[in-house]
Amino acid sequence: MTPTVVDVRGATVALGDRPVLHGVDLRVGQGEVVTLLGANGSGKSTLVRAAVGLLPVTAGEVRLFDTPVGAFRDWHRVGYVPQRTTAAGGVPATVREVVASGRLAHRRPFRRATRRDHDAVVEAIDLVALGDRADESVAELSGGQQQRVLIARAAAGHPDLLVLDEPNAGIDRSSQEAFARALRTFVASGRTVLLVLHEMGPLAPLIDRGVVLDSGRVAQVGPLAAHAAPGAEREHGHGHGHDDEAGLFG
Amino acid sequence: MSLLSLEFMQRALLAAMLTGLAAPAIGTYLVQRRLALMGDGIGHVALTGVALGLLTGWAPVWTAVIAATLGAVAIELVRQRGRASADVALAMLFYGGIAGGVLLVGLAGSTAATLNTYLFGSITTVSGSDLWVIVALVAVVLVVAAGLRPQLFAVCQDEEFARVAGLPVRTYNLLIAVMAAVTVTVAMRTVGLLLVSALMVVPVATAQQLTRGFRATFALALLLGVVPSLAGVVFSYYVDVAPGASIVVIALLGFALAWPVGSMLRRWRHRAVPEPAESDARLAGDHVTAEQHGHRHDADCGHPGVLHGTHVDYLHDGHLHAQHGQHYDEH
Repeated sequence: MTPTVVDVRGATVALGDRPVLHGVDLRVGQGEVVTLLGANGSGKSTLVRAAVGLLPVTAGEVRLFDTPVGAFRDWHRVGYVPQRTTAAGGVPATVREVVASGRLAHRRPFRRATRRDHDAVVEAIDLVALGDRADESVAELSGGQQQRVLIARAAAGHPDLLVLDEPNAGIDRSSQEAFARALRTFVASGRTVLLVLHEMGPLAPLIDRGVVLDSGRVAQVGPLAAHAAPGAEREHGHGHGHDDEAGLFG
Repeated sequence: MSLLSLEFMQRALLAAMLTGLAAPAIGTYLVQRRLALMGDGIGHVALTGVALGLLTGWAPVWTAVIAATLGAVAIELVRQRGRASADVALAMLFYGGIAGGVLLVGLAGSTAATLNTYLFGSITTVSGSDLWVIVALVAVVLVVAAGLRPQLFAVCQDEEFARVAGLPVRTYNLLIAVMAAVTVTVAMRTVGLLLVSALMVVPVATAQQLTRGFRATFALALLLGVVPSLAGVVFSYYVDVAPGASIVVIALLGFALAWPVGSMLRRWRHRAVPEPAESDARLAGDHVTAEQHGHRHDADCGHPGVLHGTHVDYLHDGHLHAQHGQHYDEH
């Protein structure tokens, strides 16, 4: 059995007084690509936020890389892409500056960025195909491009685990394909991905396993049918668009 | 030059320059976090500190530092709670601060003129010992604001991301709050408590008309803080008005000049870069040939593979290679 990267056992999470998750189990093994699916309000985002320690569990346990999340310190091993509508703040920031934040888990206060930090930032920006816009203000990019900036920020730290909360909600097709390409590159190197998806789009062929949540409980777990569905892929040629919208479980 | 030979003017100009550096330095982070009015609230609370100093005979600058710090930490804690009623709690804190200050100043038997020097600044109130305090405090603020820029930027940009990156977010937030409090107290002598927030916000707003990046905005805001501060003090020497008002009006004039320039710049940039629909050839679906390599990718070649539709992409030096006839394509 492969080592467990994310291990959530019997997690119960409440937002304020409202219980959102009721004893949820989730296990993601090394090298797996697991997606959480479910309707709005089913607790998908809450589960990933609890998995990275942003929300406390009132019962149960969360472990990352075999360490209780409260005692976990190797944050450079985790890349997190929060659910955002924009990557911009109140002051302009360039793509490069936002992505450079992804190196902070490797850096110490009052120390300059090293050559390695700079290289990792350039590489991450190239990964999401924004190389020619690196010195533009993120606020001037489209929504999909801003989402890709956030993905590059998480990738810049060279994490072993990538956690993405609805990375392709409402973004254009080319950004979805750019994201799928980035994720393929990431997965090919044997790293682990946990993501929340609304629709799978071009990501479907990459995903090993889906976990469906319903009203804060796991409703269904299993491999996605997309792999097995013959004819779901059209001839590849050189068009990189994929129109294979696979259903949740085929 | 007669102006510079006056000792109190030398002190006032030095204090103004330091204020002009510190206020936008911390203001950039407040604007980034969309807390532009935080400095204003801290200023209100600091007034109670000044009044306590006048009442007890302690140096008002120190009592103000203490009150402003306590107020800033309280504001930060209320903000972290994130309750819906937080803005009402903050409003009560602000107005309690200013009302308490005015009340205590009255009890201390000070005149409205004394109060005005703290509310709107006064070039004559900076004493020699004050100046040393100001130099020390501004040095600390600048070292922290510039030295921790990557960390503070990340925390102000996206707090949740910063937490998952393992940054001590709460500590950094409190640090920003305390630095804002210190800056307010420093600025009390030149701009005054009621207008200090303007010197934190206006230079940043002006700078971002012309910049695209955070670092550039930060640097330009410092310059745009220093120039109006010095000019305002000189102006108020000749015309005999409160320096705070002159500084803020000059800073706002700067914004009024930068705004049309900024909108022109933005329009020009958009025209110069005609929004490439998707500039990366790999995304546009174009044929991009990988660099020539004698190596042949297959299931046993050692390069990790990933299924891409009907074929396998191989990971080669961070690029995905797919076989196409006799060569490889970038995917």
